[in-house]
Amino acid sequence: MHIPDGFLDAKTLALSGALALGALALAVRTAQRNLPPRRVPLIGITAAFVFAAQMLNFPVAGGTSGHLLGGVLAATMVGPSAAVLVITCVLIIQAFLFADGGILALGANVFNMAIVGTIGGYGIYWLVRRVASGLRGQLMAAAFAAWCSVVLAAGSCAAQLAFSGTVAWTLVLPVMTGIHMLIGIGESLITALVLLAVARTRPELLTEIADGHKGLLWERLAFGLLIALGLAVFAAPFASRKPDGLEYVAQVQRFEHKAVEKNIVPAPLPDYTIRGISSPGMATALAGGIGTVLMFGFAFLLARALLQNKSHAS
Amino acid sequence: MHHDFIDRYSRLDSVVHRRAAGLKLAVALALLLAIILWPRLDKSGLIAFAAIAVVLLGLAALSRIPPGFLATRLLMLEPFALGIAFLSLFQPGGGQTFLLLLLRSTLCLFTVLLLTNTMPFADILRVLKRCRSPSLLLTTLALMYRYLFVLIDELERMQRARAARTFRGGRWQTWRALALLAGELFVRSTERAERIYAAMCARGWK
Amino acid sequence: MSTAHQAIEIENLSYCYPDSSQALRAISFSVAEGECVGLIGPNGAGKSTLLLHLNGILPETQRNAAHIRIFAEPISRDNLPAIRRTVGVLFQNPDDQLFCPTVFEDVAFGPRQAGLSEPEVTEKVRVTLAAVGLHGFERKSPHHLSQGEKRRVCLAGVLACEARVLALDEPTSDLDPRNRRAFTALLKPIRATKIIASHDLNMIAELCQRVLLLDGGELVAEGPAATLLANEPLMLEHGLERARALQPGR
Repeated sequence: MHIPDGFLDAKTLALSGALALGALALAVRTAQRNLPPRRVPLIGITAAFVFAAQMLNFPVAGGTSGHLLGGVLAATMVGPSAAVLVITCVLIIQAFLFADGGILALGANVFNMAIVGTIGGYGIYWLVRRVASGLRGQLMAAAFAAWCSVVLAAGSCAAQLAFSGTVAWTLVLPVMTGIHMLIGIGESLITALVLLAVARTRPELLTEIADGHKGLLWERLAFGLLIALGLAVFAAPFASRKPDGLEYVAQVQRFEHKAVEKNIVPAPLPDYTIRGISSPGMATALAGGIGTVLMFGFAFLLARALLQNKSHAS
Repeated sequence: MHHDFIDRYSRLDSVVHRRAAGLKLAVALALLLAIILWPRLDKSGLIAFAAIAVVLLGLAALSRIPPGFLATRLLMLEPFALGIAFLSLFQPGGGQTFLLLLLRSTLCLFTVLLLTNTMPFADILRVLKRCRSPSLLLTTLALMYRYLFVLIDELERMQRARAARTFRGGRWQTWRALALLAGELFVRSTERAERIYAAMCARGWK
Repeated sequence: MSTAHQAIEIENLSYCYPDSSQALRAISFSVAEGECVGLIGPNGAGKSTLLLHLNGILPETQRNAAHIRIFAEPISRDNLPAIRRTVGVLFQNPDDQLFCPTVFEDVAFGPRQAGLSEPEVTEKVRVTLAAVGLHGFERKSPHHLSQGEKRRVCLAGVLACEARVLALDEPTSDLDPRNRRAFTALLKPIRATKIIASHDLNMIAELCQRVLLLDGGELVAEGPAATLLANEPLMLEHGLERARALQPGR
């Protein structure tokens, strides 16, 4: 999901960069206030840990393998605002050490994975924790939230690609979210399993952290607002079925046509998107809804199965 | 095995490596912007892209990074780009968009590869510091860069020790074992973080 | 014994880890300025815990700190920065101690915290690195160094702080014999007061005038290095052995 350079246009880069910077500043602020100095090195080490854990290849099928992304896992381990920092640093290192993910596109990648994925995922984790208590609730919440975080990040990534005019919304959204709904299952399993492993050896690590990051209300609201703003800007022109939204896209397209004059690459997504938006859009939404419900059930069963194994073993 | 080879080429000594970090970053950003802002793939576009490619190849030759390494890295990073570009084939006028995206992303990838392999990470930290990044971010990045090598080595030792005593096991067993490994690595990492904190305090960290 | 010349004074120090395992029990001793004292004992005797107390890293709560005086100054929260400048600690694992991305940054860490100007820091780093035989290593990253080089950088990092007391925790445990001898030779001329915890009894015999034997968190024996290290029954009883350097027929 690391967008390389060359796929996003200038306006998308600028917008997502600004959003990412804002959210990052907020995260640093919150983390700095909540962190006792003793825990400052822990954030750097957790970032190194997430990076190292991503190198573990979990066998999937037919010789393919998947690996951890780690947003929700990090958030349950060091708290959401520190996790934003952790994932941001992982992305920076991946871009500057391995050229994995672009440098201009760093802001977009940070926004998708460190902000939307991590904070969004943690928000869902927090919500599920309200209704499900105990270790089982924690595992279930983490499993479900991990899946959601991957799908959310993929959706945001798709929206940016479409907003840049690189690929048509009706193509990129179903493909990106579809693939990541599958990848997310792996993420969900790994997150729950790792969390369980930590909970069994050092349970106090998880509770201690959970107590240590009381975010202020306005900070939570600001995070939510930034994410909503980003998604609204990137996705609203496509998701909205009102003519205004469509006209807006069309205007943008026409504007670009004019700006670059003749002999251009035919701008992506002219009529096709506009004609096709209702059916594929609806289909994607429906599939997403069904997938989410199924995944919630899966997370519930997974948490139950994992803890039943434990009572057998002991 | 030690994973110190990960960023081995960023410390070569060449004309390119010796340039100031800020300059390299600025040139790379300028090239990237030029690549993504060039709107069309007509004759002048092709000439512009070809010119950028020549510049990049020239820099690559000057940098003394083995061409084979650059080529392999480029191929390894191409699949995602290809996937997205491939999608664009399914829309009207897709053929040309596909070509444009492929050219753009390959050139961008090459630029980023060159930059990352001619600039030690410590230099990037210095640039970030000069840009007045928050100290928490800098500390986190510096610690992360330092310890990712240590943790990867540790993970590999643990994985080897596990493999040495694993005789069978299905996919589910492998998953559980890998997760246990990651969990153990995290627990060890938190303990290491405590020791690092002690070492930082011992030298006057506030 | 006049207090004025004591670099380290510890009186009746006990320490319990948060998991309620007793690490130190009623330890008392003192170290004179310029002295080099060996701290020996089996695994888990409490050697590292004791060293961590010397510059106020342990205990996390400052309750016990009054038992420890550095140059007649009891450790307290207020003088912690000063204490940490006075006492340098060389940790057991170089990977824990070298936490900066480059050798330069790492050696510069202490001097920068002490408020030196950037040219002074650069000069300090150059001189200290040369002193440990690593001239020109500034731009290297710790993960590219050999174990022996890492140890030397750790030492440089501590020396750059100009500490008057050095607490060294297993400084030679992961070195091959040649590096061990070289590192011992590096330590020898350092004029600061040294307290060295180690299983490397040959090094202790070579460097230390006096030895403290710790077992089960208690100070079991104390005495001149030559006598104590040569006492084979005592050494064997506490999981150690007679130093080869002191064995007859050598």
